Amino acid sequence: MAIDVPRLRLHLALAMISAAVIAYQIALMQILSVVQWHHFAYMIIAVALLGFGAAGACLSLLRPWLMIHFASLLPLAMVLSGAAMALMTGIAQSSWVRFDSLLLFTGISQLLRLLLTYCLYFLPFFLAALAIGMIFVHAAGDIGRLYFWNLTGSGAGGAAMTGLLWLFPPPMLPGLVALLAIAAAMLVLPEGRHGPVFSRKVIGGAGILPPTEGCAAEQHSGAPGRHPPKRWRRLLIVAALLSGLTAVFSLIRPPVLILSEFKGLSRALHLPDARITHERSSPYGLMQIFSSPALRYAPGLSLTYQERIPVRKSVFNNGEWFGAVVPRQEKEQETFLDYTTGALPYVLETRRRVLILDAGTGSLISQALSRGALQITAVEPHPAILSFLSSELAGETGDLFHHPSVSIRNLSSRTFLFLDKSQYDLILLPTIDAFGGASGLQAVREQYLLTREAFRQIWRKLTPRGVISITCWMDYPLRHPLKILATLAEVLEEEGIGNIRDHLAAVRGWGTVTILAKKTPLHTAETEKIRRFCRILLFDPALLPGLRTAERMRFNGLQDGRFFLYLDAILSPSRERFYADYAFNIRPATDNRPYFSQFLRWRSIPDLAGLYGARTFPFLEAGYLLVLLTLLQVVIIAVILIMLPLHFLRREGECRISVLLYFSGLGIGYMFVEIVLIQRFLLYFGNPIYAAAAVISCMLVCSGIGSLLSARWIRKRVHALTVFTLIILLILLHSLLLTPVLQSTIALPPAAKIIFSLLLIAPAALVMGMPFPLGIRLLTGTADQDIPWAWGINSCLSVVSAALATVVAVELGFVWVMVLAAVAYCITFLGGWTGLLRPEAFRRFS
Amino acid sequence: MKSLYFILGFTLLLVAAVPEDAHHTSRREAMVGSQIAARGVTDPATLRAMGTVKRHLFVPEASLADAYDDRPLPIGYGQTISQPFIVAYMTEIIHPQQDHRVLEIGAGSGYQAAILAEIVRNVYTMEVIPELGRAARERLRKLGCRNAEVRIANGYDGWPEQAPFDAIVVTAAAEYIPPPLLKQLKDGGRMVIPIGSPFLVQTLMLVEKKGAQITTTQLMPVRFVPFRGSP
Repeated sequence: MAIDVPRLRLHLALAMISAAVIAYQIALMQILSVVQWHHFAYMIIAVALLGFGAAGACLSLLRPWLMIHFASLLPLAMVLSGAAMALMTGIAQSSWVRFDSLLLFTGISQLLRLLLTYCLYFLPFFLAALAIGMIFVHAAGDIGRLYFWNLTGSGAGGAAMTGLLWLFPPPMLPGLVALLAIAAAMLVLPEGRHGPVFSRKVIGGAGILPPTEGCAAEQHSGAPGRHPPKRWRRLLIVAALLSGLTAVFSLIRPPVLILSEFKGLSRALHLPDARITHERSSPYGLMQIFSSPALRYAPGLSLTYQERIPVRKSVFNNGEWFGAVVPRQEKEQETFLDYTTGALPYVLETRRRVLILDAGTGSLISQALSRGALQITAVEPHPAILSFLSSELAGETGDLFHHPSVSIRNLSSRTFLFLDKSQYDLILLPTIDAFGGASGLQAVREQYLLTREAFRQIWRKLTPRGVISITCWMDYPLRHPLKILATLAEVLEEEGIGNIRDHLAAVRGWGTVTILAKKTPLHTAETEKIRRFCRILLFDPALLPGLRTAERMRFNGLQDGRFFLYLDAILSPSRERFYADYAFNIRPATDNRPYFSQFLRWRSIPDLAGLYGARTFPFLEAGYLLVLLTLLQVVIIAVILIMLPLHFLRREGECRISVLLYFSGLGIGYMFVEIVLIQRFLLYFGNPIYAAAAVISCMLVCSGIGSLLSARWIRKRVHALTVFTLIILLILLHSLLLTPVLQSTIALPPAAKIIFSLLLIAPAALVMGMPFPLGIRLLTGTADQDIPWAWGINSCLSVVSAALATVVAVELGFVWVMVLAAVAYCITFLGGWTGLLRPEAFRRFS
Repeated sequence: MKSLYFILGFTLLLVAAVPEDAHHTSRREAMVGSQIAARGVTDPATLRAMGTVKRHLFVPEASLADAYDDRPLPIGYGQTISQPFIVAYMTEIIHPQQDHRVLEIGAGSGYQAAILAEIVRNVYTMEVIPELGRAARERLRKLGCRNAEVRIANGYDGWPEQAPFDAIVVTAAAEYIPPPLLKQLKDGGRMVIPIGSPFLVQTLMLVEKKGAQITTTQLMPVRFVPFRGSP
């Protein structure tokens, strides 16, 4: 029996629920990044997304029953997923569920809470995925269109949420998304005796539903459906209304987000008279301005400083320290920054033209002004902080950002380096491993400003007497300063500098070390100025032409005196051997492997455990370890979800391996390409959020169009061969040519860059959208019961590959991720060639 | 008859209490042996104090079973009671003497102050979180630490009324050393302070003041809660 669901409404509902899933995922990422740390957010979302795999398994096992009750269960799943979206954040934030990431290693109760959080967030994804899967199975013959609406909806959901993040605070977002899921359910509520719940006339009047609309059931491949009894329809309406009310209530009274008590903001709020004076939500995070009469800021201050350290307002992003609001200093006015190792470049001479990269809250701008700089260019990618500092906090900063000598650029620093043609006397990089600790949690965050290629660009922007200055916190085990020095040393050698030691100076205080690289050799008068600077402020020179060993530890002793041996080894011809022998990975980061703070080597784990104890060392490289942990979890769950239906569905299916390889390869290949493209366009657009939104939306919409075209274009086996050849060729072309092409067009105007990006992404995305609907079409009619299983495999592997791509990029680089994407498509094709794509499967198309 | 019931009840109480106390005592002894002495802390006064002060009275009820474990434990408000070895190490490194006056910044549970109070003449400890400060004060009072005084205030300004100090122990991570604390350190005095990122890894640092000369020595990596007054 046909189910009377108009096709367009079904398609619209599919697009809306798909949009809701993506939007909910982004909203949850934002919320969990605020209350915990973004790695834990990533881990939870990855597991929750396996709701798709679970839905696939569930559909495989219960397909006949689900198809019989399709008309009732479809809206029910959507309604419940909407209700779950609205409710879960509040429940997860309640005192009996809330977990704390930093206590996970301290006891079983926190692990149980984490598990409960997984389950809570799993539910809305599972229900939404069940709805999507049911539509796919119900109308598998129409898979081209369904996949188009699915992908287009997902793309639109991602783009819309990027916009919503500017407008609404994070706790309100799930409620908004829930309304979308419930609205999708309303579109597919079963029709009553006197017409649909939403009058056809009204929808048609709005131009949504043409009068000639057909029924999806015409193509349905499932078991015959059953009209639900009238009372069911009423129940569904009541459920939808209640869910809608829940979502509205969660908008009126959004859940209070309770930050981990160990986050910077939580701790700061314990200070006397602490308060948040301003806050602003954006895709970059929730930025909050904090004030307390007890908060002072003076990182790495010399012990000779005798003045009172002033109280400062501070900025927190997602509950973590971002910077302090420093007032503008007039020329020659002394600041506490003059008592830090970071003052080193100003010791040599006055710097007229200064470039400050990742300027943050502007303290280095203030220092440059006080040291007589005449032209300061400050680059900061975070728009919310620039907005705060030039409006609400303009009084606090003395209108620093509107000073006639200061020019602000809202762009990623690396993109600025590509665009800018100026020369500078001094280029300042942000402090490495600043308070807040990049040593562990930043490990898998790409830092394109600290790669060898970036340093080379910076070096070429220096005037003949210009210097680069970088300050790092002294860490232990020693990693950051060594990697910075190694990067500088390699770049200087590449630039043809003969004796690199003559161009380098490093000064160490009790906590920080500032490394300076000068375009021309440091002469004796300059080295004497540096020595005097060190004597006055109780610092020690660590690198200087003509430096004696006894000078290196005069005021500040080290637990590990080998630091100086390491510095010397990096500047010696045996640098490569040192890289290989050292316990941590300190080889310079590159644009291909831009993980500056990822130092972990497997063989260094025993050293870390020895230093910190087995329970605490994970925090050292927490970011990377969490990615590995996530990968392990999702692989285990994915294997279970893929194998479980197989166990119950033993039957005559002869091409199960083929189906497995085909849909696994597609899941991995597609996601790998998407992740690499986001990375490549991140530098191009200079903004990670917009790069991700643009790439994801463009890919999904173009793939959707490819899906629509697939039924028309792929009718013979040779067509499939052509499509796969095209995909593999395009991926290989991208991996070889994309970077140089993007670099050569980076200076184009923004509108032209967007069009150019579309032209670059669209062809690959278009053809990559074809194999999935092709596979489903080939299963339709011959192995219908495998459709949900195949869809589940694809979903599971997409989640697995998101984590796997990061691991491959960290270990081998992004080029290898792209190569492996091509390999995945080869496996897809070869796996399908002898089974799913066999000649007789195509006969019915012709 | 009443006195018989009293004696019986008292005996029962003792019987119930002794194993519990003996359990903690044996765990404390094991802690001193395996976690502290085995890692190189040799100062007899420090070892004696670590063996005397009942750490389990300074941890929340929920963490009682873990009181003598080799790790820091949360005590609320984003704070922790430090790992036993770190408490002992920081005590030993300031070379505490019987006639010393010691300032502690970051009382937390009051455990470090109680250890110091076993060794030196006066301990002045400051805590910025009122709830923690009051609880620490009450705990130290109940334990009879009459030579330990708690002040609820921001540690940045130190305790000028009681300065100068022979030693200053800062038990919360900082990214700067407050100038007032350096001023309140006696000539020849020692300050120990964890420096660096909160909750990741900090470096324990020794600051020594000899006339106008101030030197620092990095000692070892540790994990602490952050210094109030730093973000």
